[in-house]
Amino acid sequence: MKQHLGRQSGVQNVEVSLIDGKVEVTPKEDGQIDPAQLLKATYDSGVTAAEMDMTARGKITKDASGNLGLQVAPNRSFVLAPNDLSKGLGSLAGTQTMVTVRGQLYKKPEGKRQKVDTSVPLKLSIFELEKRE
Amino acid sequence: MNAKRVTISLLLLCVLVPLSQAQIKHIEMRVEGMT
Repeated sequence: MKQHLGRQSGVQNVEVSLIDGKVEVTPKEDGQIDPAQLLKATYDSGVTAAEMDMTARGKITKDASGNLGLQVAPNRSFVLAPNDLSKGLGSLAGTQTMVTVRGQLYKKPEGKRQKVDTSVPLKLSIFELEKRE
Repeated sequence: MNAKRVTISLLLLCVLVPLSQAQIKHIEMRVEGMT
């Protein structure tokens, strides 16, 4: 799995801990890393991703429907799952303020091993606001 | 004409510089079924 993930675009380093089932991925600075692709690659390597957490720095955006998002690259953004922290960031939408947040991008649905559906955009559920600048 | 170009360049810089600092810094997964 380590080699398989390491071959994905935008991945600099992969550390796997067999004891607690943790996989840490360090992205390159080229902004090419695609979390959805990582989930698919994990499934393809024969294991099931139970959760995926991400730390990212970016700008808060708001789409036409009023959904908040975090833009982490010119061509990549994640819709924010509504919670108290995301609501608190709403006032930053459309500004140049950069935020660094930690959040959950994926949690496996209850039940059997399922193929990750990459057609559904990942939603970021923020659980920590690390920095606001 | 030159002033217009400079203005456009400055506007582009304002948009692109913050985005270039944006990035995914770290990803952590918990996996099941690993041997």
